[in-house]
Formats: sequence, C-alpha cells, structure tokens
Amino acid sequence: MKYTPRALIAEITHRCPLHCVYCSNPLKMQRRADELSTGDWVSVFQQAGEMGVLQLHLTGGEPLSRSDLTELVHAGREAQLYLNLITSGVGLDERRLDELIGAGLDHIQLSFQDNEEAPANEFAGTRSHALKLRIAQMIRQRRIAFTVNMVVHRRNLDRLKEMIAFAEQTGAQRLEIANVQYYGWALRNRESLLPTRQQLEHSIEVVEAARERLNGKLRIDFVLPDYYAKYPKPCMNGWGHQQMLIDPAGHVLPCHAAMVIPGLDFPSARERPLRWIWEDSPVFNRFRDESWMPEPCRSCDRRTRDFGGCRCQAFLLAGDAAATDPVCTLAPTHTVIEEALQRVNGRAEREWVYRIDPS
Amino acid sequence: MSGLERNRALRLAPGCRLNTTGGPEDLLLIPEGALRLKGPARTIVELCDGERTLAEIVVELQRHYPSAQPARIETEALALLARLRDRGVLEYA
Ligand code: SF4
Ligand code: SF4
Repeated sequence: MKYTPRALIAEITHRCPLHCVYCSNPLKMQRRADELSTGDWVSVFQQAGEMGVLQLHLTGGEPLSRSDLTELVHAGREAQLYLNLITSGVGLDERRLDELIGAGLDHIQLSFQDNEEAPANEFAGTRSHALKLRIAQMIRQRRIAFTVNMVVHRRNLDRLKEMIAFAEQTGAQRLEIANVQYYGWALRNRESLLPTRQQLEHSIEVVEAARERLNGKLRIDFVLPDYYAKYPKPCMNGWGHQQMLIDPAGHVLPCHAAMVIPGLDFPSARERPLRWIWEDSPVFNRFRDESWMPEPCRSCDRRTRDFGGCRCQAFLLAGDAAATDPVCTLAPTHTVIEEALQRVNGRAEREWVYRIDPS
Repeated sequence: MSGLERNRALRLAPGCRLNTTGGPEDLLLIPEGALRLKGPARTIVELCDGERTLAEIVVELQRHYPSAQPARIETEALALLARLRDRGVLEYA
C-alpha cells in the first residue's frame, strides 16, 4: 500500500452543550443510541496503531460528553498513539483533567468563540465563555501541551488583535486561528460568516505583527478562508492519503464532510477491519489517485500539490464531487464563489441558524 | 542561534515525545504532528533528559562517535538543539 494513515480523527460523539453557528458537524447528526461502545473504540485504536497511525484526535461534538473519555485516552496510549483532545472545555473539572492527563493525554486544544463574553456566547448559542476561562487556567497549571483554537469570521475578525492578546493571557503555547470552513452548519450561515476582502487583508497584517511580537512565546497558526484563495487547499492532504475520520456511529470517512457526497457507501468500523477499509474499500479509493480528475486538473501542474481541492466542496457548490473545486480560479464553476464574494462584499447582516443537539 | 546556555539541561517540552512503536523511522511526536529525526538526531534528543547539561551532552556525543571530528559534532548538535528549542520542542529543565 502506497499510503500510510498517519492521523485518525475520532468523532466520539455528536452531543455537545454548545450550538455554534459554524459547527462543522453534518446537518444530520448521529444519535447517542447509535454511538460506538467503549470496546468498539478500543478495538479501532488498536487497529489504527498497528497500521501506522501516529496521532489520534479525539473530537466531537464535545468529547467530554462521553463518560468513558478517560478510558478511551488510556486505550489510545496503549495503542502507541499520540493523544490530542479537541474540546470546548465544557464538562471539565480539576479531577477529570488530572485523570485524563494520568491516562496519557498529550495535548489539549481548547476552543474559544471570541475574546469577549457577549459575542462568544452569541456564536456558541450558550453562556460558556466565563467557564472556559477558568478551564484555561486549570490547564495552564498542569504539564500538558496547550493550544487555544479560535474560529474567526466576519463578525469577529475586526477584533483579531484583541483575540490574540486574549490567547496570550490564557498561557497557551500555541494559538490556532482558523477561518470558518463552509460545510455543515457553517454553509447554512455562510453569508453571515464570510469575512470581507478588507477584513481579510487586515487580519493577515495583524497576524504577521503578532507573530513578530510573540516570537518564542506563542506560536500562531493561521488558516485563511479558501474562498479568497487563488487555488484550493490540499484537502486532508489528499483523499485517502494520510487521514481518516470515524463518526460517532462508526462510519469511516476520508474527511469529516464526506457524508454529503451521494452514492458513496461508507463502511462501518463495526463490520469491517480498518485495514480493509483503508486499503480496499471503494470509498477510500474513489478519489485517491488521479484517474477521476477532470480538466483543468488533469493537465495542471498543481494537481500533485492540491489534488484538485476538496471533493465535498465540489459537491456542495458545483453539484458534482468529481469536479474541480470551485474555489480554484481555473475551475469552470468558479463563478459560484465570485457571486458569494460579491454578495458578502456589499450587503447587510442576516439571521443565524443555530446548530441543534442530536437526541 | 547559539543562544543556548551550555551549563543548563534541556528536556522535551510537554506534549513532545519520541515515538515508541519502533517503526522504520525515528519520529518525534509533537502537537502539530511529527518531526522526522535523521541520523544521530534521535540519540541527541534522548540525551536531553533534563539532567545532563549541554556541555556534558556534547562530550558524550564525542565519545559516542569517535571517528567524527569533535568540533563538528559540537556545532551540529548545538545547532539541532537550538532549532528544537526555538520550535518549542525542547525546554530548559
Ligand atoms: S457546537 Fe461548537 S463546540 Fe459543539 S461540536 Fe459544534 S463547533 Fe464544536
Ligand atoms: S486546476 Fe485543479 S489541480 Fe490545478 S490548481 Fe485548480 S484545483 Fe488544483
């Protein structure tokens, strides 16, 4: 097999006490009753370790919503994986944090919706900001790698400087600033979330200045919105090349949004060995090499770098998962992006649609 | 770059550790992913146990690789350690 999976993203539950307007979970979420059991996950982690996976990202929903989280962390470490927890922090207390670290947790990524309380609570659809601040303090007091994640968009990007100063206060070693990506709930709210071109240019300057000021103190990763890019992002570093995602019910996917693509039959980790799914399942092979590529990708030099962009975005925006990602300025469907940007760069605010909680 | 203090000891920062699966590559796992360690890099990182000073590490490496030029070992080891420290992978104990 030419490709070795390096990272497993385990969405262990879709349950979450927050209701973020840009949540990347699918609109159709998996119910609690359908979630994989502790034993199922333990088996998955063992198989992943044997296949060469290095990093295990525990995410959701809110992973803390599962009461067996400590056991899952322990099982991941037993399988020789590097354990990363991606969390809103809601559900964490001193005791649970100590248990998680004791079980082998390597790294915590704590998400904040904003530096200010009122907008943070508005974007999350809950009052959680003050609690998160206490949790940041708890994390900082312990020996564990700590990253703050901040999702940025039209409604908070003008405060980026303050948000970076805020992240500095939390004592994290690393700050990940990610522009919203337009799948799931975020796509529904796209017109309210996409930043303007002016905001974006300003934000790049702010990040550059902050990087200089904080060099050696806080590392900043900045993910730009691909709508403004000339070429698409190398989504998942290539379909079925390095990463896989397992949803709460055990569906194994090449990327978190892949469920939106019709006609794909996602194998279940309950029914099939992970190795078979990775190496032989039709889904993982569907866009793995270059044979599916249309023009202009097929004869484009960048195809080995961006793999023609994101398949899910191609489906969501161009109606065809085997099309060139419309974000690419060379794509025949690029006008859909231009139109969205035109609307965003000259019109008024809209209403939110809040993410709901699965039963 | 050579801002390292030779009479102090370094250790891996939280969330950074050597891969233990014994696969074909030497990897240093870090929050963002993994760094591939080439040549003697793994040995050098392993010596950063939070006890040995940098000066001691250099002497140990020179003993470990008797056929290499001692001055070159020193320059290269310190350059690697400085890079890893700048990246936040190693910290003073
Ligand atoms: S609602 Fe917010 S915190 Fe919950 S999973 Fe979605 S983005 Fe994450
Ligand atoms: S044409 Fe295809 S391969 Fe070329 S830059 Fe655009 S998406 Fe990438």
